[in-house]
Amino acid sequence: MIGREVALAAAGLVALFVGLSVVVLSLVWLERKFLGRLQGRIGPMRVGPFGLLQPVADAVKLILKEDVVPAWADKGLFWIAPILMFVPSFMVWVTIPFSRDLVIRNLDMGLFYFIAVSVVSVVGLVMAGWSSASKYAILGGLRSAAQLVSYEIPVIMAVLGVVMLAGSMNLLTVVDKQASVPYILVQPLGLAVFLIAGVAEVGRTPFDIYPAESEIVGGPFVEYSGAHWAIFFLAEYINTFVVALLVTLLFLGGWQWPHLPGVWAPVVVLVKTYLVVMVIFWFRATFPRLRIDQLMAFGWQVLIPLSFVNIVLTGIQLYYRWPSWSLSLMSLGIILAMAYWQYRTQTAPAQALARSYSQRAYSQRRGA
Amino acid sequence: MTTEKQQETVELLLNMGPQHPATHGVFRMVLWIDGERVVDVEPHIGYLHRGSEKLCEGESYAQIVTLFDRLDYIANFNNELVVCRAAEKLMGVEVPERAQYIRVILCELNRIASHLLFYGTYGLDAGAMTPVLYAFRERERIQNLFEAVSGARMMHNFFRIGGVNEDVPPDFGQRVRRIMGELRRGMEECDRLLSFNEIFLSRTRGIGAIDAETAIDYGLTGPNLRACGVPYDVRKDDPYEVYDRLEFDVPVAEHGDCWDRYWLRVQEMYQSLHIVEQCLEQMPEGPVMAQLRRIARPPKGEVFVHCENPRGDLGVYLVSDGGPKPYRVKVRPPSFCSLMPLKHLMRGCYVADCVVILGSIDIVLGEVDR
Amino acid sequence: MLATLKGLVTTLAWAFRKPVTAQYPKQHLPIQPRYMGFPALLWDDTAGEPFCTGCMVCVRECPTQCMKAEMKDNPLQQEGKSHRRKIIERFEINWNRCILCGICVEVCNFDAIEMSHVHELGGYARAGSRVTLQELLKYGREFQERSGWKPSNPEKNVAGVALAKEKEKRQPAAAASRSEPASSNPSPGKES
Ligand code: SF4
Ligand code: SF4
Repeated sequence: MIGREVALAAAGLVALFVGLSVVVLSLVWLERKFLGRLQGRIGPMRVGPFGLLQPVADAVKLILKEDVVPAWADKGLFWIAPILMFVPSFMVWVTIPFSRDLVIRNLDMGLFYFIAVSVVSVVGLVMAGWSSASKYAILGGLRSAAQLVSYEIPVIMAVLGVVMLAGSMNLLTVVDKQASVPYILVQPLGLAVFLIAGVAEVGRTPFDIYPAESEIVGGPFVEYSGAHWAIFFLAEYINTFVVALLVTLLFLGGWQWPHLPGVWAPVVVLVKTYLVVMVIFWFRATFPRLRIDQLMAFGWQVLIPLSFVNIVLTGIQLYYRWPSWSLSLMSLGIILAMAYWQYRTQTAPAQALARSYSQRAYSQRRGA
Repeated sequence: MTTEKQQETVELLLNMGPQHPATHGVFRMVLWIDGERVVDVEPHIGYLHRGSEKLCEGESYAQIVTLFDRLDYIANFNNELVVCRAAEKLMGVEVPERAQYIRVILCELNRIASHLLFYGTYGLDAGAMTPVLYAFRERERIQNLFEAVSGARMMHNFFRIGGVNEDVPPDFGQRVRRIMGELRRGMEECDRLLSFNEIFLSRTRGIGAIDAETAIDYGLTGPNLRACGVPYDVRKDDPYEVYDRLEFDVPVAEHGDCWDRYWLRVQEMYQSLHIVEQCLEQMPEGPVMAQLRRIARPPKGEVFVHCENPRGDLGVYLVSDGGPKPYRVKVRPPSFCSLMPLKHLMRGCYVADCVVILGSIDIVLGEVDR
Repeated sequence: MLATLKGLVTTLAWAFRKPVTAQYPKQHLPIQPRYMGFPALLWDDTAGEPFCTGCMVCVRECPTQCMKAEMKDNPLQQEGKSHRRKIIERFEINWNRCILCGICVEVCNFDAIEMSHVHELGGYARAGSRVTLQELLKYGREFQERSGWKPSNPEKNVAGVALAKEKEKRQPAAAASRSEPASSNPSPGKES
């Protein structure tokens, strides 16, 4: 009896691992290809048709590479850090459903479990930074600690908004509740907060403060190479995917699609998720990076208050039983107000400045 | 220090460079940082020192043009121009008008290419990945044209003492007009992508500001000086070639911070397009090379010539002893002077700002180290 | 926010446009006619020998001193097939040092050297970076065939033309046959 369960669990783990690897490889390919196209390039073309095997080649290269450990590194921590980062990103999959039945274990407190587990990965980053005995890595590790801890709050708050609407922490219920209206229409503010904070959680542009390549050359990962680095890499991509998947499940209605039979559920989820992932890549193609203090200021002064506002609005709407479009209107209003405020305080002055500079241009036009 | 257990906090010494993605070549900054704040910075140069000035003393005048190509390897034509003009001034050569126009066109296109490269790498420094690719796409058009004119995409060795090597190809005007339209569109696209992006604004506005007086004291020139509000441009203030016949504005900013420097360069690109347009209209027919002896032998004497490089005021001090080789060549490199206020700019900023500041003063290490 | 959206649109627009890059080894972008690739020595078909006389002017003028040349007496001249008294025996350019500046082409009085379009010269060994006379002639051959190269001063440098002219001269004044118009005096063609 026990033997069978262990065997089943092992098989499940292997299946999950293989599935995740495929997901990561596809993400790597998609990112390189999509970024390439956004930048007017072709992206990988050589290995396999359309460069489809490029990520495989990369993976093989990484695994075959020498795994250098710096002489001064704290060897134990150095070895454990990637694993500590990888395990949580692996564990969250236990509760993520791809359809009503396709889930390893549907927990009633699924969202809670998810948040609790995913926070752990910051430990891995800090450890990696500290144990590398490199100044860049230490800076990166400390940055990652600050960043991940502060952006965890808006993530939780945004999730809380959804939980309030759905009345459950069970992901299945959350998705089922969106059968008629996905929450993106009800809570655009929640989605914005969740997406921004989620992108920050996984350290992607414009919040790639801790790996910031042009400043601290890769941050915590700077001393890693070979297979160890590959594990970080894997974890990062899985985390990105998980964020996108959660956006799909919490805001885009999961596997809900009008007039589509149930067997298509996983496909619908995957398509939606990949679209969200592409949005994240799209951000990467467009934005510069924030600075660490701006990142913290943005997190604590803008995102966290906004997430609270979101919760309060949701509460008001639920308490007075207003129709749900009132919530979307309020949300949109707040987003627009933020955009306007931002325009007034930043863009408009810069544009005015540019105009005034144009008038000051020094010229010795003939006859003038 | 009262209790034994209390530990002293020390500044962290962080070595940025010489192999660092954001130091634009081999340049090293030693940063003393307190958390993320920079307490002090010590620049180290010389990793790219090739002894160009000394090498010039052993080469004939025709050969030193190739050495000047390699000083500021992003604005080759502008560098060639300054050394050719130095020798011409010493020899009292009158350069044919057509050659002067060709030189100005190529120099201005080179200025655009150089500023585009700045735009791209500056985007990278600020963490944006796409600008560099868009900038290279636009720059490629210019490089292609250079290849058609001079035969090389960089290191052209095209300007000669007394003119240019060859007349431009017959379809030159057409081609330039065509790429100018494309360039303008491309530059507008670049502008749209980065200039007023909120993140970019918050990264660059008010960062690394320097006031006009300090800037003059440090010997800044070019866009870095004009960003502080000093309208000094050699093309206007000491016109050379045919610049006094051309109409153009010199953009001037005010605060001297990173964004001003960036914005100024973007505006300069548009002005350069304007200059090229006029040159094409005014360009006369005629020879492109003055009648000279085969081997240049400037008379005994010395001369200082300066031109407006994309990076600032590039000067050459040339001493001739009447022989076929210069006696002494001294270069006044604008990048080197732009590096001088580094401490002033970087003290008290964040580590991330260091990269942005260094990018904004737009140095080329080939010119700094010579 | 507005500028951010504009930026997002700018990048997204490129997803629907044609990429500008090319697949390099498979697809070569056109080379401009004036392209300065590796210098190559040219072949005089009328005499069946290189143009180069080994006069060493280019060797002296090369800013990086990357060339070597050695001359010998020209056997074909003794047979009367050529007007060149001296001919190149050994020639070598080190392409690791050559900076493709074109000065050698400019100073050569004999139309013997030209910047070819050869530019893919990667190799595995350092020794392989010394390009010998045979290879230089081969590059030159290819360049001549492909680009329809014409000597700038055929009367002086192309053996067939020069010999014919010499003959013409010799008939009216046979005594002056010793003056050969080749070497020494600089050509007005290249540098005006
Ligand atoms: S200058 Fe011309 S002829 Fe003389 S050695 Fe060089 S290539 Fe040959
Ligand atoms: S191209 Fe320049 S460097 Fe190369 S062999 Fe000729 S003169 Fe020398």
